[in-house]
Formats: sequence, structure tokens, C-alpha cells
Amino acid sequence: MKKVLALVMVLAMALSMASFAAAEEGNAPYSGDVKIWVAEAAVEFTQKMVEEFKALYPEYAGANYIVQPVGEGDAANNVIVDVEGAADIFGFAQDQLARLVAADALMDVNPDLVEEVKAANDPGSVAAVTLGDTMYAYPMTSDNGYFLYYDKSVVSDPSTLEGILADCEKAGKNLYFEINSGWYQTAFFFGAGCTLTYDTDDAGNLVGINCDYASENGLKALKAMIETAKSPAFANGSSVSAATNIGAIVDGTWDATSAKEAFGDNYAATKLPTVAGFQLGGFGGFKMMGVKPQEDEAKMVLCDLLAYFLTSEEVQIARYEAVKWGPSNLNAQKDEAVQADEALSALASQLAFAVPQGQYPNEYWSLATGLGDDVLADKLDDADDATLMATLQTFQDTAASYVK
Amino acid sequence: MNDLDYLKLTGFSKLAYKLGHFFRGIPKGFAGFLKGVGRFFVKLFVGIGSEIKDVCQTFVQGDWKTKMSYLVMGFGSFARGQWGRGLLFFLFQTIFNIYMFMPNAEFSGCYYLGKLSTLGTVATYREGRKTVYGDNSFFILLYGVLTLFFILAFIYTWRMNVKQNKLSEQILKSGKKLKSTKDDLKSLADEQFHKTLLALPTLGVTIFTILPILFMILVAFTNFDATHQPPSKLFTWVGWDNFHQLLSSDSASYGGTFGQVLLWTLIWAFFATFLNYFLGMMVAIMINKKGIKLKKMWRTILVMTIAIPQFVSLLYVSKMFAADGLINTYLMQWGWISSPIPFWTDPVWARVTVIVINVWIGIPYLMLIATGILMNIPADLYESARIDGANAFQMYKKITLPYMLFVTGPYLLTSFTGNINNFNVIFLLSGGKPLSLELSGNAGYTDLLITWLYKMTVSDTNYKLAAVMGILVFLVCAVINLIVYNMIPSVKNEEDFQ
Repeated sequence: MKKVLALVMVLAMALSMASFAAAEEGNAPYSGDVKIWVAEAAVEFTQKMVEEFKALYPEYAGANYIVQPVGEGDAANNVIVDVEGAADIFGFAQDQLARLVAADALMDVNPDLVEEVKAANDPGSVAAVTLGDTMYAYPMTSDNGYFLYYDKSVVSDPSTLEGILADCEKAGKNLYFEINSGWYQTAFFFGAGCTLTYDTDDAGNLVGINCDYASENGLKALKAMIETAKSPAFANGSSVSAATNIGAIVDGTWDATSAKEAFGDNYAATKLPTVAGFQLGGFGGFKMMGVKPQEDEAKMVLCDLLAYFLTSEEVQIARYEAVKWGPSNLNAQKDEAVQADEALSALASQLAFAVPQGQYPNEYWSLATGLGDDVLADKLDDADDATLMATLQTFQDTAASYVK
Repeated sequence: MNDLDYLKLTGFSKLAYKLGHFFRGIPKGFAGFLKGVGRFFVKLFVGIGSEIKDVCQTFVQGDWKTKMSYLVMGFGSFARGQWGRGLLFFLFQTIFNIYMFMPNAEFSGCYYLGKLSTLGTVATYREGRKTVYGDNSFFILLYGVLTLFFILAFIYTWRMNVKQNKLSEQILKSGKKLKSTKDDLKSLADEQFHKTLLALPTLGVTIFTILPILFMILVAFTNFDATHQPPSKLFTWVGWDNFHQLLSSDSASYGGTFGQVLLWTLIWAFFATFLNYFLGMMVAIMINKKGIKLKKMWRTILVMTIAIPQFVSLLYVSKMFAADGLINTYLMQWGWISSPIPFWTDPVWARVTVIVINVWIGIPYLMLIATGILMNIPADLYESARIDGANAFQMYKKITLPYMLFVTGPYLLTSFTGNINNFNVIFLLSGGKPLSLELSGNAGYTDLLITWLYKMTVSDTNYKLAAVMGILVFLVCAVINLIVYNMIPSVKNEEDFQ
């Protein structure tokens, strides 16, 4: 019996110890871990910038900053899957914004900073981080668009797609254009004068769609796509490093270094060509930095400040110098080195024909791949106008069905 | 029909008879199954009833030590000097109580159990720039299930505790001595050794296999997806809605696509299994033939494909067959084709290509297996067949094939199931592409159910439909396995080759 009593006492003690609450938190500057996710190429650069941040704000030097390589394409996915384990600050591409907001995995920009951020960055990038009236992230780059890289010895005149294809055919080279990607595909549709945008409310929900793919213009675009895909010199793709036998490629600034390597002295970059008489358009895209919701107010203050710092004018210029990402900050865009960049100026001339990329549901990207794959599979090669129109109508109806 | 009648039939009518027999058997088998389920429940309720009766009787007839044990587990064992058993019982009850009624409500079993029916109602909100998280549906579901398991375990242990007391009383009444703790420990290494060995594995299987499976099954009945993502958003029970969305054919549902993908999965599994099987066997027979020179070299060349990690060779081959890949480029340079062959972009081409490439990586394995078995077939069988005037094909059909099928029947079955879930080959070669406007939900023409499931979880975070799909994949595999398992010769005619 004594043993029983002893046990009961031990247990009672254990219970009372467990019921003590955790220690109270003070209002001192946050000093725990701050995790930052950036693309692999920018890790070293970001680490350097964090050191500068510490020097600039000594009161936050006590926090433990961890910079990890997570690509802008994966960041949103990883954050949504595990919000608690995710980074506090992460770089991502704008097509993920609505998804992040819908999952409530993104904190809006500190209201005290909104006006300042809005004034400092180009309007396209500001629109890209805004849902309804709320600004959800800090614009970081304004270079997420595509244009044409080409080999001067192969392509004599890069002004028409037909001409480029003929030149490539003659030289036995390929033109790379990823028409089964929802991102590159819009070059045809937007160029021909179609629109496809979604309206969102403040909470990231889709509330409306503006789409006129099933129209004369849409038909023109789809036919141009089909004709392009018919050429033996056409190849579906958008990565210089994965391409073989490359004569020209529709690609973005992130591939500038590999394109220079691939083309050597014949490297050239320019705006997209015209096709079937219309200028190819497309998306102007942006990358941004987001902050995830925090349970600790002191940490939130630090994260706001750090995200603001990492997207400020000086850091954007430094980022261009280190990893060649084109700035979204208006003053940084006027920087001499930025102005002299061949790829960035090609992008700038293309952006005149591009639409700032708004918010698209995740399903849109696979729907567009479906349309592109149907073209690549030659399913529509001999189709008459009525069939093509029916295809576009299906596309438009399905795209509209994502609005709930 | 008796055996003689059956043997008189031609090959085709034999097959027809067998098929007819099979389908006629389905209603009977189904009725048998239902009856079995009914019997199980009757037995279950009767069993529970008699247990309750026994518990009550023990209480009425037992002494005060036994009665006390109903409240404090292990009391009786302590009082009768079996402190080892008593300690275990008491410890278990204490842990259970602590878990269920912890002062910090956030972590107690009662808290999770209470919220299990709604999966949480408190929403996340903002206090200025600070975020205050509400209920986390994910943890509520997970710990709720865990708590249910714990309660079942507790009821079982409590029942054991009562039984112990009854037994002890009977033993003491008959004048014998009870086992001491020392005796108990000794018996755990002796006649109870199976319990000692199996305790850890059983616990592991329950926590790491059964619990997650149950959790996933339950997710299929919730709306856990991209817009209901913990910790910020709540999800809740929705009944059979997800099954309806995946299987019905109205416009917002995936019914048509699911049918397509399921059909292709079965076609793929059939070809991937049997094409590999017969071609592998053929290669083995050819290499085994007398008069073939350099046998070892041929085998080595074929086995080389095994030596390279599959994901490396598959990714490489996938590139080779791309529109701008090695194969198309060379064919075009030689002037054999004028435009690239659409290996990965045309649905039919893509399907044929994955099957053919799978043959290339599958043959070496089959060749190795078949070589071993072929060498085991007694040569005198072939000799006497030859004397009887049988030709090569007849010998293959009457001797080699039955022998092979007998030995490799179970292997064929497992590889068929394996191919239904053959994620690697499809994912690395085609990634499920090409997509189409005719398919919905991000599925492509070469997607298997399992790769579609992967896309749903990883790129669309649509866990609810993925869970439903997981259940359906299990059903497909289970049904096919059960039917085929009972038909393969190794099970039916166990004695044939002994």
C-alpha cells in the first residue's frame, strides 16, 4: 500500500508542474530565429544584405537569421503545405499570390509602409502585389517577362515569327517557344487583342472573369499557334540549358547568362516578333517578397522591416549587380548599369506590348497546358473554324467555372 | 457438367464455360460476403453482451479488493501481492487520465474528442499586426483519432484488469498460490515469449501504419483542400461529396477524366506486366538455347540496364525521345522524317512510348528470373516430348509455359499490382503529359491513378480528392488481386509440380 501512496504523490507533483504556464513575453526586440527563403542564386547575396541590415539596425542584430535556398516557384507551395515550418520571409513569383492569400498564409504589407512602397515601385509591380484594395507583398523585381533571344548568324530578321521559322528551317536549327505553358501562351492571345483576367476580392477569392478567347481575335491567335507548331523548326520549350540545336528562344532575363554562352558572339535579344500580322504580347511579370502571419508581434515588426529593407532601392540595385535581377523600384530602374543591360532593354521594349500579370487560379495553368498540348498533339491541325471556336468556347467556359 | 463433358469442349468453349461459371458465381459470392458481414456483427454484439454480463457478475460476486479495482486499476493485483501487474495497470490508468484530462486543455484528449464532430469552430483572427490562430482542424482530426484508439485500448485494459481479479479470486479460493512478479517476468521470457517479441512491432504498426491509413480515409470525408488549409483556415466534414465529385459526370466533376485515367491505368498495367513477362521469357529462352555463343556476354549487356539507377536512365531516355531530342534530330538529319515524331505530345504515341520504354527496363529482370526457372525444368520432359514428335512451339506451350506460370504466378500478380502503382516510370518519362482540354483536374493522357494522386497532393493541394483516389486505388487493387489470386495455378493446383 505504501508503494501505491508514493506513486500517487509522485503523479500529483508531476501534474502540478505541468500546469504551470509558460513564462510571460516582454516587449523587447525579437531575438529568435528568422527564416528567409530566396532562390538558390540569391542566397549568398541575401546573406550579405542581412549583414547590412544588422549593421543598419543594431537593435535587431540579436536575432538569428537563416537564409535557405527555395525557388520562387516552390516557395508558395511549401508555405501552404506547412505554414508553421515555412520561412517567415520568402520570395515568390506573382502567380502564387492569390493562392497564398486564399490559404491565409500571407500577411498584408504594414499599413505605415504602403504609401511609400506604392510610390517607389513601378505601377505594374504594385498592381501585381495588390488584391482588391489590400497590398500583400513587397515588389522585388520587374523582370519576369519574356522576349526573344536569337542567334544573329541564323536569324536574319527577327521581326516576324514566320521569317524566324523559315531561317531556322534553312539552318536546321530550332525556335523554342513553350506554347503549352499558360504563361508563354498568352503571347498569342493577348497579342491578338484578347483578354483574360480574373477579379479578386481582398481575401484572394475569385469573384469575376473577363475573358474573350472565344472571339475572332481568339481564333486568329489559335490559328497562329497551330501554324507555328506545324513548322519542323518549332520546338516546345523555354529553357536554354535544356535546349539542343537552338536558333532562337522565347525566354526571360534569368536565362541571359546561359543564352550568352549558347550563342557566343552571335548573341542578340529583342522584343517578340509579329505573327500573322499582329505583334505578340504576353505577360509582364514580377517577383515579390512576402511575410507570413506571425503569432509574435515583436517578430512581425522585425519581419516587416526586413522585407521592406530587402526590397528597397539600394538593395534592388545591389541585387541587379549581384544576380542580374531587374529592379521594380523606379529609381533603381534608372540606374546606368540597369539601363545598359541588353536583355533588360529587350524586355523593356517588349513590356510595351505586355499586360501586367494579375491573379490567376492554380487551375488556369493546367487548363492552358491542356490547350497547348492539344495543339502540340496536332489534334486541331485540320480543324475548321467552327471546331476551333468550339475549343475556345470550352476553354473560356472552363476558365469561367473557376470563379465560385 | 462433369469433368468428361468439360474435357470434350474445344478451347474456346472451355474459356466461355469458365467465364460463365465465374460470372454466375458473382451473386453467390456477394451474398456469401454479405452473410459473413452480418454474422460478424451478430457475433460482435453477442460477444459485447456477454462481456458486460461477466463484468457485472464479477462485481456482485467479488470481494472488496475486486470492487476497488473497478475504480483504481491494478488495486486488486497490488492487494494480492502481484505488484508487477498492479503497477502496469495503475500506470496505464494514470497515463490515460493525464492524457484525457490534462489541465492545459489544448493538449488533452477530451478537448480533441469534443471537437472531433465539427473539426474546430474557432477561426483565426488578427489583433493589429499579430495573428492569433484558432482551432487547427488537422490536429483535431489526428489527435481525435488517436484519442479514440487510446480509449479503445483503455477499455480493453480495464476489462483485462477485471478479468484478472476474477481469476485471482478463483485461484485463491481453490487453495493455490498466485504467480509472483518474478514468475511473471520469467514467463515473459518463456511461455509468453511471443508477447515480448511482438509488443513493439504491434505498437509500431498501429501508430505508423493503421493510424495514418485511418486518418487518410477520414480526410476523404472532409473538405481539406487549398482553400481550407490549416492552421489559418478550418476544414470540416462533408460526407460523400468528394466521392460524388470524383465519380459523377456532371460538368464540375471529374467523372469522365477518372474513367479515362482508370482505363489507361489498367491497360498500362496489363501491357507492362505481360509484355515484359513474355518478351523477357523469350529472351531467356533464346540465350539458353544450345549453340548460342557468348551467353554470358548477352546476359551482361542486358543486365547493364539494371546497374544504372532507374531514375537516371529514365530521365535521360525521356529527353532522348523529346521533339528536339537525339532520336528525332538524327532521324531528321538522315532525312527519314520531315517533322519530329510526337513521342511525348501525341496521346497515342505517348502511351505506346511509355509501354515500349518500360519493356526495355523490364526485360532484364524477367530474363534473370526466367533463366533460373528454365534451367530447373527436367530435361527428360523435353526429351520424351521430342520422341513423341512435338515441335518447339508445342513443347513451349505444354511444358515451359505451364511450369513458368506455376512458379511465377504470384510474381505476376504482385507485378500487376506494382504496375498499377508504377509511379516512377510514368512520372519520370512523361510526367503524365500530354494534358488536354478534354480532361479535367490536371490529369494527362499517360497519368496513372497514382501519378494523378501525386499531382493532386503536391501541385494542387487537393487533399480531399487525393484521399478519395487513394481509397479507390486500394479498391481496384484489392478486387483484382482477390479474383486473380484464386485463379492462378500455384494456388489452385498446388500439387502439380511437386
